[in-house]
Amino acid sequence: MLLQVLLTVAAILFCIGIYGVISRRNAVGVLLSLELMANAVNLNLISFAMFNENGAVGQAFTLFAIALTVAEVVVGLALVVLLYRTRHNALLELASDLKR
Amino acid sequence: MSPLQLGLIAVFTPLVVATLLVVIRPLRHTGKPAAGLSILGAFASLGASVMLMVQSLGAHPVDVIHEVRWLPVAGETLATIGVQLDGISIPMMLVVSLVATCVQVFSFEYMNTETNEDFGRYFTWQSLFLFTMQGLVIAPNILQLFICWELVGLCSYLLIGFYWKKHSAGRAALKAFWITKFADIGLLVGLIAQYSVTETFGWDPATVTALSAAGMINVVAALYFFAVMGKSAQFPLHIWLPDAMEGPTPVSALLHAATMVAAGVFLIVRAFPIFIAAEQAMPVISVIGGVTAIAAACIAVVQTDIKKVLAYSTCSQLGYMVAALGAGSLMGGYFHLTTHAFFKALLFLASGSIIHAVHSNEMADMGGLFKKMKVTGTVYIIGSLALAGLPFFSGFYSKDLILETLFESAQHNPIFWVPFIACMVTAGLTAYYMGRVIILVFFGELGEKSSHAHEHGFAMTAPIVFLAIPALFAGLGGGQLAHLYGVHDFHFAVVHFTPVGIAASTLAFGGFAAAYAIHGLGMAGGLVNSLTPVGDFIRSAPIDRSWLFVYRSILSAGAQALGWFDRYVIDGAINAFGASLINTGERMRNMQTGRVNDYMHAVLMGILVMAAFSQVWLRLGA
Repeated sequence: MLLQVLLTVAAILFCIGIYGVISRRNAVGVLLSLELMANAVNLNLISFAMFNENGAVGQAFTLFAIALTVAEVVVGLALVVLLYRTRHNALLELASDLKR
Repeated sequence: MSPLQLGLIAVFTPLVVATLLVVIRPLRHTGKPAAGLSILGAFASLGASVMLMVQSLGAHPVDVIHEVRWLPVAGETLATIGVQLDGISIPMMLVVSLVATCVQVFSFEYMNTETNEDFGRYFTWQSLFLFTMQGLVIAPNILQLFICWELVGLCSYLLIGFYWKKHSAGRAALKAFWITKFADIGLLVGLIAQYSVTETFGWDPATVTALSAAGMINVVAALYFFAVMGKSAQFPLHIWLPDAMEGPTPVSALLHAATMVAAGVFLIVRAFPIFIAAEQAMPVISVIGGVTAIAAACIAVVQTDIKKVLAYSTCSQLGYMVAALGAGSLMGGYFHLTTHAFFKALLFLASGSIIHAVHSNEMADMGGLFKKMKVTGTVYIIGSLALAGLPFFSGFYSKDLILETLFESAQHNPIFWVPFIACMVTAGLTAYYMGRVIILVFFGELGEKSSHAHEHGFAMTAPIVFLAIPALFAGLGGGQLAHLYGVHDFHFAVVHFTPVGIAASTLAFGGFAAAYAIHGLGMAGGLVNSLTPVGDFIRSAPIDRSWLFVYRSILSAGAQALGWFDRYVIDGAINAFGASLINTGERMRNMQTGRVNDYMHAVLMGILVMAAFSQVWLRLGA
């Protein structure tokens, strides 16, 4: 029973993340939503680990995943700061230079 | 020295000279020294040829074939090149080197108004020509002959276009080049056909037997003859030769009268075993020769340019040779080639002397020149009488032999009546047009431009006087020549009159008489006037215009059609394909908005589709 609850929470978190990613105009918001999605996945992982005989492996993976997410956020935030410095805003729909 | 060494000297001295002059630019640009070197080379070639001739007239006739392997393929030899010195090649070598030497000495003075650079260039090509022509003559197989055949064509092109700054000279050079190249396709295809059947490029009896057995002999002979028609200016491919008169006059004498145009006739002589076995092709060859003889003579009658008369006369005389060879008489064709080379070179050089004095080619500008230029006039008349075939001149013996051969052949095969009658009539016409030239140029009132004419220096008079000797007496060598050629049933007599010979001589005398009556005494004015439209028609070059029509209507129109197809169909298909790609790309790029959110939508969409697909796949697959 507990597993279903955990998975449902994770799914809801993931959906909120997706919604944020595709609907936020600000890059910072998108980054936050991405964090939500990553954490939903981590929650899934740790939930399954709880119900597994080799649970320690799942917990170790989760720790690695969190570390990776942090690294990713650092890169993402650096990009956002750079974007803000060059354009004085962080609106994604205005940052379409790759089209040209 | 051995015959082989002499032959190599005769061929390669001019090559050494030509190479030096081509490679060492300052030497070429010195002018006179370059010319001197070239003349020395020609004399060396002449000396070697004379010694060969002396040896082959001796007790042990020269008969040397020396071949080296060339193009080796997988152990066997595809082809050989080498030297063949025998009774066929040695007389021709002598003719070529003798005329070339005379012409080069003559040119030394004739061309003296040119700049040093042009002078050197002229003699460079002259030396190159002498090498290629000698190489053609000594060729022991068709392949080597073909290579030299193309090279003499190149020299002809270069020398016709010597005054390349003149538009007409450039065009004439191109015309000569393309028409002879067109005909040379025959030689190329012929030698490939011969090789594919016999695996040899030779003309020995075994090859001929193999060709006959394969049923290819007539085809091969006809293909070779097509090349001869181009090179030796046979009707209707003769149209390049009159235009070739754009070159300097000594060039016309050497290439377009005595030697290069005779290369075609020489090919028939050289490959005579192949031709004589081609029983169906031979009468056609003879008829084409006869038609050429009479048609060119008719055109020569109405020419106003002194060189053009001689050019058409050369066509006509080449027609005689081809007619005789077509009737199976090697002696007739080759003998006439030899004598004709001397008197026609003489006539051209003498014309050059006149042109140099008068500064015009038009006979209307000349007249009364005999008093001013006695030496030139005398030798010109000797040459004309030899050309017309008056008794005891060299042309008499060779022409008489041709006419008798044709007459004899006509007894067996009625088709030979055509060349016989054509050649008989031509004998009269020849005398008429030469008589006309003599009267218009040397007699009558002094022309406007001829009043300042005077005889030239030693370098120009000596060659023409020297050439007058063989023009007078070369006919007497008929017996020796027949012996050299290996024709043993030929009995030569200096005083030799047959009904055919008498008739031809009578026609020749009649021709001269008619020329004197019409152009000297002004008789038959009404007849001449009534024939004016005919003359105008002939002068308007109907055959040239026919070729032009063929060229424009068939070749040019075909090329235009193919060009249209290429431009609009082939290129069009490729362009349409490219344009459709660009168009598609133009449309597709709208998908790329550059907005991250749109890409996110696309990614999400993709994931959903993949998830749905995998679910369906799992359900159905299981």
